[in-house]
Amino acid sequence: MTQDAAGVRGVKQLESANMVRAHQREWFAENRKRVEQGEPFAICNGDDWEEGFNAMDIPVMCINYWHAIIGTKQMNPYYDKVLAEHGYPVTGFARAMASYMDKKPDVAPWGGYPKPAILIGGTKNDIEMKVLEYWARECECDFYPLDWCLDPVPEWAHPPPPLWWERMKEHWDEMIEPHRLAGRIEEEKALVNFIENRTNKRLTVPRLLRSLELLNEQMVYWGKARDLIAETVPCPVNARDQGGMYQAMWHRGSEKGRDLVKAYYEEVKYRVDKGTVACPNEQLRLSWSGDHAPIFETYIEEKYGAVIVAWAYFSYPIDSYYRRITYDNPMKTLAGHHMILFFQDPKLYLRDAKMAKCDGRIEVSMMPGVPSFTKPVFEQAGIPVCQLPRETLDAEVKSILDKFIGELLAKKGKHV
Amino acid sequence: MTVFEEMQKYYRQRDLAAREWKKNGAKVVGYFCDNVPEELIMAAGFFPLRLSGDPKGGMDVAKKNLLIRYSTREDFVHSMFNMLLTGKYDYLDYLVIPHAKDSIHRLYQLMVEMKQTNPAWKFPTFIFLDATHIPSFPAVSYDRDRMIEFKGKLEEWSGKKVTNEALSRAINITNESKMLLKKVAELRAAEPPRISGVEALQIIGSSMFMLKEEHNKLLKKYLEGAGNLPARDGARIFVDGSPLDNLQLYEVIESFKATVVADDNCWGNRYSDVPIDTVLPPMEAIVDRYNRKSPCPRMYPINRLVDYCRQSAVNAKAQAAICYVYENDGAETWLTREKVKALEEKGVSTVSFMNQPYLISNAEQLKTSIEKLIAPYKK
Repeated sequence: MTQDAAGVRGVKQLESANMVRAHQREWFAENRKRVEQGEPFAICNGDDWEEGFNAMDIPVMCINYWHAIIGTKQMNPYYDKVLAEHGYPVTGFARAMASYMDKKPDVAPWGGYPKPAILIGGTKNDIEMKVLEYWARECECDFYPLDWCLDPVPEWAHPPPPLWWERMKEHWDEMIEPHRLAGRIEEEKALVNFIENRTNKRLTVPRLLRSLELLNEQMVYWGKARDLIAETVPCPVNARDQGGMYQAMWHRGSEKGRDLVKAYYEEVKYRVDKGTVACPNEQLRLSWSGDHAPIFETYIEEKYGAVIVAWAYFSYPIDSYYRRITYDNPMKTLAGHHMILFFQDPKLYLRDAKMAKCDGRIEVSMMPGVPSFTKPVFEQAGIPVCQLPRETLDAEVKSILDKFIGELLAKKGKHV
Repeated sequence: MTVFEEMQKYYRQRDLAAREWKKNGAKVVGYFCDNVPEELIMAAGFFPLRLSGDPKGGMDVAKKNLLIRYSTREDFVHSMFNMLLTGKYDYLDYLVIPHAKDSIHRLYQLMVEMKQTNPAWKFPTFIFLDATHIPSFPAVSYDRDRMIEFKGKLEEWSGKKVTNEALSRAINITNESKMLLKKVAELRAAEPPRISGVEALQIIGSSMFMLKEEHNKLLKKYLEGAGNLPARDGARIFVDGSPLDNLQLYEVIESFKATVVADDNCWGNRYSDVPIDTVLPPMEAIVDRYNRKSPCPRMYPINRLVDYCRQSAVNAKAQAAICYVYENDGAETWLTREKVKALEEKGVSTVSFMNQPYLISNAEQLKTSIEKLIAPYKK
């Protein structure tokens, strides 16, 4: 893969984002030490129960996070091969399992993760539980299945009200089907029992409440940083660093998680006050569909001054993770975190794009021939959308980007 | 026309009985999968019709209207959806979409949005029937509550209460159906087999496209003549994998000297192998059966699914097995490894065909592999 085809994600500029990156490696090394000393280590899918583990002081690795690390290190093809060699279907969701099965700490990202004591997960989709069961067998550890999981399409159970993102903080429980929430609360109580019986860890109500409060504090800081990034022209923080900061989300409900995001907000504010920018020749502001800084970030910045200012996870922490705490029933708030996060709503992405004063949007087509569900909404609002066939920086993709950005610049009376 | 040909007629013309039923002003409730309690539908006075696809029917309209976040790219579901969109199911009054595999589950929200954005789309009144996938007590209780709600919805649609008598009557009919279909399963697995897999799929499938009591009459008559059914020789094959709502695969297998003696498939033996316990009060009995029935691939745990597959093959004295999995059937894709291992441990040579198309347009490679698999067992 050439450098051009591989592309370059933006330059790391923020100290607080570098702090998070460094913290993650240290945290991982620390987890290995704790496991060697006999402590349990857990693995779960994102938004399945990581707050619970954090509240019980059990180090937990979120599967989607580990997959992001594998992807960033461009090890997807390597672990696909490992899966195939072990007779498993090649599936993205199973790459983290492959990194354990491979048993090569010198190859695995950050030396790999320690043997888990428990894997939990559930029914988000057809394959998740199957993969987790096999994974638990490979790790020779417990697997605890959970029904009533976060559904990628939650609207079937409870259609979202208009402007649902404005209601999520205080009215999140109105967006979850009550029977399913009740089922999940019982399930999570049983899970706590299971973990307590298997480990010497305990969950107490005060600890759970403090964890939920810390989570909210963490999200408030994220929200403040997000607002500053959105309203400041030129943009003070590139997408690479915003994405890097997202790693703090894996410590939801912990003091460390809160402190990392607080440091981020303070640095963003400092940069804004000082007039420090992500891209000195910013000419265009773009919305991006991906959940990580795009591979073409540096290319479009350097060539056109086109900056990604709003992206898929731009607002989720403040819009979706911050929740009113049900003090009379804290397990309800915890369970609620695992049942609804957001609806895939183009109107929310449009709101973010408008908030961040975007000139256009770039997205990757998820399936050839199937229309984008965001494009009509954006274009009706006067924000052009560019669809890429894939997220690479080959000649075809470059040509599409060049054309799109050229048109946006022309619209603004600027030139390439 | 022979009795078999009569059932075959309803297998081939899957709307025939339902359209006939509607002529008297009665209504049809369509449903996906075999996880929807058809007994409740029957007891409410409706005709229960299981939806199926048509490999040769195309799916252009469905694919054009897919919303990417709702698609799991399973063509056998696209086919059914295509039929819904192009009016092939225009005789349905109601439609039940269960919380089964993703591709079925997602159809509900897709249809909700399509209706909202374009009221010109004509769908029957449709509902979602939620269900769990982990056999725990809380899950069983939850499923029970959802089925009671479903009964309430059927009462709303029919305008009358579903009585225990009606439930008991429906249970008796479906239990009789299951008992008769078990005899079909026995004849498939007999030594030598008396019913081919191609025949069995049509017998079983036609029961889902007709009034059950009418099908029971035909099947009883058919089984009265079981002693005269010709013996089949050749290899004894077990088939596992994705839902087979058509005959393509079995026609290929049985074009050689072979019989599909059993299957782990919701269009095959698995549909009918667990009856309803009539000792329990009828509503509880129905709930209990659908919680206990032989598991569909979406269910947890893997062992239960693999054990069922292995035992079914062993009980039918299968000599070889074929795991046939559609493209993008994630659950079966991830189960096949264990199933192949389990079958081979029992001495059942197994070949798996992964990422298969819904329409078999080029059977040559399939035929070559199948021929090689069954060669040692052809008498």
